Amino acid sequence: MSTTFLPCGVYHENYAQDHAWFQTNLIKGKMILLFVLLYLVVPWVADVYWISVMNQVGYTIMGALGVQLLIGYCGQLTLGHAAFIAVGAYTSTLLILEFPWPQFLLDVGLAYPISIFVAAIVAGIWSVLFGLPSARVKGFYLILTTMAAQFITVDFLITQYISQIGGRGQAFSLPAGTIKIGPWTIDSDVKVYYMILTFVVICIAGVANLVRSRVGRAWIAIRDNDISAEVMGINIVQYKLMAFFVAGFIGGIAGACWISNLAAISPEHFPWFWSLWLVGVILIGGVGSIHGTVFGALFMVVVMELLQMAVMPLSDAYPKLLMDFLFIKEAAFGLSICLFLLFEPNGLAYRWWQIKNYFNLWPFSY
Amino acid sequence: MKPKRSWWVWLSIVMILGWAAGAGAADEINIGALNDMTGATSDVGKDYALGIAEAINYINDTGGINGKKIKLFQFDYGYRIPEALTKYSLFKQKKCVAVLGWGTGDTEALAPTVGKDKMPYISASYSGHLCDPKKAPYNLFFSTDYSTQARGLITAWFDKKWPKKPDFGKRKPRIVFAYMFASPFSSASIKAAEDQATMLGFEVGPKQDVSLFAIDTKSQILAMKDFKPDVVLHTNTVMSVAATIRDAYALELGADNIIVNWGFDEALPVLAGKAAEGAMGCAPWAFFGQDVKLMDKVKEYAQKFNPGIPLEKRTIHTIQAWANAMGLAEALKRADKAGDLTGEGILKKGFETMRNYEIGLGLAPVSFTPTDHRPQSKARIYEYKDGKFVMMDEVDLKARWPEKWEKEWLGW
Repeated sequence: MSTTFLPCGVYHENYAQDHAWFQTNLIKGKMILLFVLLYLVVPWVADVYWISVMNQVGYTIMGALGVQLLIGYCGQLTLGHAAFIAVGAYTSTLLILEFPWPQFLLDVGLAYPISIFVAAIVAGIWSVLFGLPSARVKGFYLILTTMAAQFITVDFLITQYISQIGGRGQAFSLPAGTIKIGPWTIDSDVKVYYMILTFVVICIAGVANLVRSRVGRAWIAIRDNDISAEVMGINIVQYKLMAFFVAGFIGGIAGACWISNLAAISPEHFPWFWSLWLVGVILIGGVGSIHGTVFGALFMVVVMELLQMAVMPLSDAYPKLLMDFLFIKEAAFGLSICLFLLFEPNGLAYRWWQIKNYFNLWPFSY
Repeated sequence: MKPKRSWWVWLSIVMILGWAAGAGAADEINIGALNDMTGATSDVGKDYALGIAEAINYINDTGGINGKKIKLFQFDYGYRIPEALTKYSLFKQKKCVAVLGWGTGDTEALAPTVGKDKMPYISASYSGHLCDPKKAPYNLFFSTDYSTQARGLITAWFDKKWPKKPDFGKRKPRIVFAYMFASPFSSASIKAAEDQATMLGFEVGPKQDVSLFAIDTKSQILAMKDFKPDVVLHTNTVMSVAATIRDAYALELGADNIIVNWGFDEALPVLAGKAAEGAMGCAPWAFFGQDVKLMDKVKEYAQKFNPGIPLEKRTIHTIQAWANAMGLAEALKRADKAGDLTGEGILKKGFETMRNYEIGLGLAPVSFTPTDHRPQSKARIYEYKDGKFVMMDEVDLKARWPEKWEKEWLGW
């Protein structure tokens, strides 16, 4: 699906060219434009609301990347990913609030970056813990195991114990100025946008390279047929757990980034519905495709917001529309998954691939 | 295969329409409202949301804010925090001057942000923690805060009920707290309640962890029976309070029940049946339909804008919403008169100029000062007797313990 048709006369002379992400100057130009758009144009053009929406998109992408890796690339069904995002968020917050940092680290603004890394590691290990049953079970049974991760982690451990630390009750609030990366205090939506965008780029680059490595090919083999994979000499337990670790790791980064957006967290931020939502994101975007994750997140967040924006002008005439819109939104979530599975089972990523090919092959249809 | 283009067309139409949303006109004041009609707290949130819309319509029909109409951007956020966050940004984009929020979830999540943005946030979360201007300067509400409610309830029971008990004068009264330990909402007033009980000479029993979603609380009631309490303080919402007092009734615990406002509404007798008889609760506002100032308007607007819902189905939560909306409108009027409708202006020249301001709706007079955001010191205590909610006492904590009220009790 990710094959790109190259123009006539373009061919590779060595492996480096063959493995390059951006294979022609046109594609390189397009990617540079995309980066310029994301880093310069969007923050300049978008107002506070759209920046906030973009931050939601970034957070959703990071959350869904782990789910994509587990379900789309390794075939391990998960319905508890919000738990690992929560572990990341709480680890980072606790480190910032409770850890006795040496003063020089605080001065140079390294506490938060270190906490992000530690949060990712802790969330990864926590994810492996709940990935252990995948050595024995798969499919439906694994769904229940990962759901257990959600309830044990968020509803029990975090709600009853972790969130009580420091006597603050359930919500942890991060005083202004505590979230710093180097000299850069993250205290506005635009700064959060830059940070989340950078982490999204790093995570996408990491996962994209991972899935075309030896490890990624092993994951895909396990997804396609675990028995064949084992016969070929792949240690499936090790690779499954590795997938859980990487997914948890990215979830941890997502959680640690999320706290900068709010400056306060409580267990209510990580309900089970969020885990389900992330699975919806990859179903709509395209299972087994990285840019499917991006498209899915864009669809689920931006299109829903646009629907609402479309409803708003009508609200003067029908005031109840705004209040009742969320029912439509809830229904739209379920309905869009049903419709996608019916009419677009490969998700938006496949449609994108078709569109690109249409232009690449024009005027011929194949 | 023939390409299916139709949904792309629709999507494009939606996107184009998306840009059509415009901000309010110049002579309008924009207000945001976050409500929960589909989420975890929608059982009480729906009625509150309807009340907000009706109250704003009433304010607009009676001259608005010094002649300026309020434009309400009301959204249901389904008690989902990310949703609350984007909607709050949308309110900022729409140049809203204040937000009528809802519960603990959105209020606590947004507290640092509203403080930074200087956006007055008037919610239905009445935690005493929000009353300290040093910590949460822009979080306000028009109600008795949870801590004052709990103190008032314990005091009213001590004054009115304890002297009638056979053991009065022979031993200390015994009290137990039933609430969800992990919920910030349920546990908000426990520290204050414990302090008040100790101060009045109660013996405080082991706390009982009752989930907000509890349907069976027999084990907690059995644990209470060992302690033989005279009174139980409930700080959960009505569903779990009803389950608790039903089980206490069935297992013949024999203690009186005192309940903070969210567990004490028109649904309690319906859910708890006979067990609700004699229950005492703090209701900062009148119940729907009671004979107080403005209630006729509440009823009129309920019928006018939501004729599909019979009046007997409407609850005290509508009155709560009216109190917050009317209080905000008054602050806006004062700030507008002073010519400063910024967030800071609304706070300093609006809310903080209120001294014993009477809204009506059965709400005790409200005062905010720059150093104290506890709206009132009077806790109005009702009893459910013979199928009716009857006011039995009004405890003025400030009058009784002026020293402690001023110096010790703020912010918890």
